[in-house]
Amino acid sequence: MIINHPLLGPRDAAEFYVMGDADLINRPDPDAEGAAEAFYEYAYLRDNPAGEHRELWYHEQGDRSWLVVTRSTLTHEIMNVEMARDVALAKGRGQ
Amino acid sequence: MPDMLTAEPFLGGYTLDLGDVAVAEVTDISIVSIAMPLGGGDALANAVQAAWGCALPAPRGTSVSSDGSVTLIFSTPDQTLAILPGVDGLAVTDVAAKLGDVGYYTEQTDNWVGLRASGAKSISALERICPLDLASMSVGGAERTVMEHLGVFIMREDDERFLLLSGSSSAKSFLHAVELSMRNVT
Repeated sequence: MIINHPLLGPRDAAEFYVMGDADLINRPDPDAEGAAEAFYEYAYLRDNPAGEHRELWYHEQGDRSWLVVTRSTLTHEIMNVEMARDVALAKGRGQ
Repeated sequence: MPDMLTAEPFLGGYTLDLGDVAVAEVTDISIVSIAMPLGGGDALANAVQAAWGCALPAPRGTSVSSDGSVTLIFSTPDQTLAILPGVDGLAVTDVAAKLGDVGYYTEQTDNWVGLRASGAKSISALERICPLDLASMSVGGAERTVMEHLGVFIMREDDERFLLLSGSSSAKSFLHAVELSMRNVT
């Protein structure tokens, strides 16, 4: 599988480590009401879609960046690759 | 007072020339990593420009100081690896003094073993153990990748000359992988 890294171009999947569902970026606010339930869902509950899936991939043998890779679990086609830092910053993180 | 110990190169300054391809341990460089403080990109870039007369390297690339003595390799968007002339002792103190309080500097010299691969068959030898398309790499280009499961910085110094940096703790395994691949293509 080839992942088209936004900065570095097409790279072999062997350079990466896959971390699973990209929803891990959305860590709940520990001070919010219902935080325990939110953290339970965050830590343990995952969708298992047949089709489009957003995943975190770590470029361990490369520039050490985290990527959000949107791919199909049915065909392995990769639809989109983003820098995870850009995704997180767009959500207002890093303030 | 006890005698001071003298550091030896990790591979004893190993060299091998197979005709069409050759490998030699690089023992005359110092390495310092330069990390960018959060929001401090411009200050660091300005300091590098003032001290070495060059910009920070772009992704997949390097940048060379105006006097040719320092090469900066892109490692991540917030970090660069500086390859400097070898010095006795620490290079990081010189870099910190030269650039000032605009980055986080870490001595890396002892962490990396350097190999220089050269010759007409250098690409043939290296592409067998590396997932990158080395033929399309431009001179002055640099990448971080794997060779035989070992992490490697590879920099194309010339058409037929590459600088390889890998972890010094696995220096002999790395040399073995590179040398075996070279023997397999000659």
